[in-house]
Amino acid sequence: MAKNKGEIVVDNERCKGCEVCIPACPEDVIAMAKQVNRKGYHYAMPTNDLCTGCTNCAVVCPDGAITVYRKKFID
Amino acid sequence: MKELRLMKGNEAFAEAVIRAGADGYFGYPITPQSEVMEYLMAQKTHERTGMVTLQAESEIAAINMVYGGAGCGKRVLTSSSSPGMSLKQEGISYIAGAELPCLLLNVVRGGPGLGTIQPSQSDYFQSTKGGGHGDYRLIVLAPSSVQEMADFAGLGFELAFKYRNPVLVLSDGAIGQMMEKVELDVQQPRFTDEEIRKNTPWATIGKTPDRDHNIITSLDLESIKMEQHNQKLQEKYRLIEENEVRYEKIGCEDAEYAFVAYGTSARICQKAIELARAEGIKVGLMRPITLFPFPKKILNDMTSRVKGILCVEMSAGQMIEDVKLAVEGRIKVEHFGRYGGIVHSPSEIVEALKKQIIGG
Repeated sequence: MAKNKGEIVVDNERCKGCEVCIPACPEDVIAMAKQVNRKGYHYAMPTNDLCTGCTNCAVVCPDGAITVYRKKFID
Repeated sequence: MKELRLMKGNEAFAEAVIRAGADGYFGYPITPQSEVMEYLMAQKTHERTGMVTLQAESEIAAINMVYGGAGCGKRVLTSSSSPGMSLKQEGISYIAGAELPCLLLNVVRGGPGLGTIQPSQSDYFQSTKGGGHGDYRLIVLAPSSVQEMADFAGLGFELAFKYRNPVLVLSDGAIGQMMEKVELDVQQPRFTDEEIRKNTPWATIGKTPDRDHNIITSLDLESIKMEQHNQKLQEKYRLIEENEVRYEKIGCEDAEYAFVAYGTSARICQKAIELARAEGIKVGLMRPITLFPFPKKILNDMTSRVKGILCVEMSAGQMIEDVKLAVEGRIKVEHFGRYGGIVHSPSEIVEALKKQIIGG
């Protein structure tokens, strides 16, 4: 069966910490960083490798700060 | 032909001021307002329309550059967020005293002090009651969408020049950072020197043989003259209160209860109305668009129909004072708000309505 394995990359400086992506992620991959960006916002970051590459987070991100990379595995 | 774009509130405001024919922006970066200057710089306004965009050395320098530009009859503006706006109050008082037009934007963040960078509405007192020293008022416009952020740029300049008074756009961190679609007006030309000479005869742009020197000042050491100047200002504020009240009523036709809220809170109240009406509670929303002049008469008229008002603000209760003055004790008025950077949820508002107004 083909399975998607994904990874997200967050543009830290574009993220405004609105947290819309957190409930959008079915795998609970995303959390807010303890650190802040140049403007002072806590930015979103991946916390584990459970990402399936569904792109929900990138779709809901109002600022287009999340890029999703996807790789297909065949068992 | 209007142009449709997806933009942040701050960016929409910046684009709208360019299109409104602004001559100069002077500012200093502060979250959550920094995108205004970032956008103007990225647009290279000096090449696009000839507009000056300058990062001053401080907020105090920025507002005094606005004072200078406004004295020359130019369309000038500055923007900041709460702590920066406090620094600007001295300059704003001078500009109001000297009766000069300018546009100000406050993208409010939680306070007091350095506070937080999250949205709040805790600058209502500062914005509507004067803010700096002396008996003066600003015309205060409160946008509740990215569209209004853009619309109030042009309207702000128009009102500022009509009344020779600073106009403040009182936004907040949520609207400033929010991405929404916005319809932008077409590009207006900047004032030409001819127009400035004709439309703003008070501007200090050089003496001509047919008149005395134009002097821009807020100082008069003769008390009698200063009182007369103050009376003139008060007359102007009365005129503004008569002519420039703006508001929006949503679902008030059959309402038994009403929310009064502006800006972001008004948006959340619209969702709260849906939730409450699904439970059979007839509630409407009165949204003041101008906070000064405050729509007192509209609220007073509403008291004959509604049984209670819940004033919803992202503050500990500031606008509620104006609401109470307007309803003259005829009906119950209560406050509900989260503050310090927390934004209330629609269900919290419905709960508060049930507990404080209907049940209380």
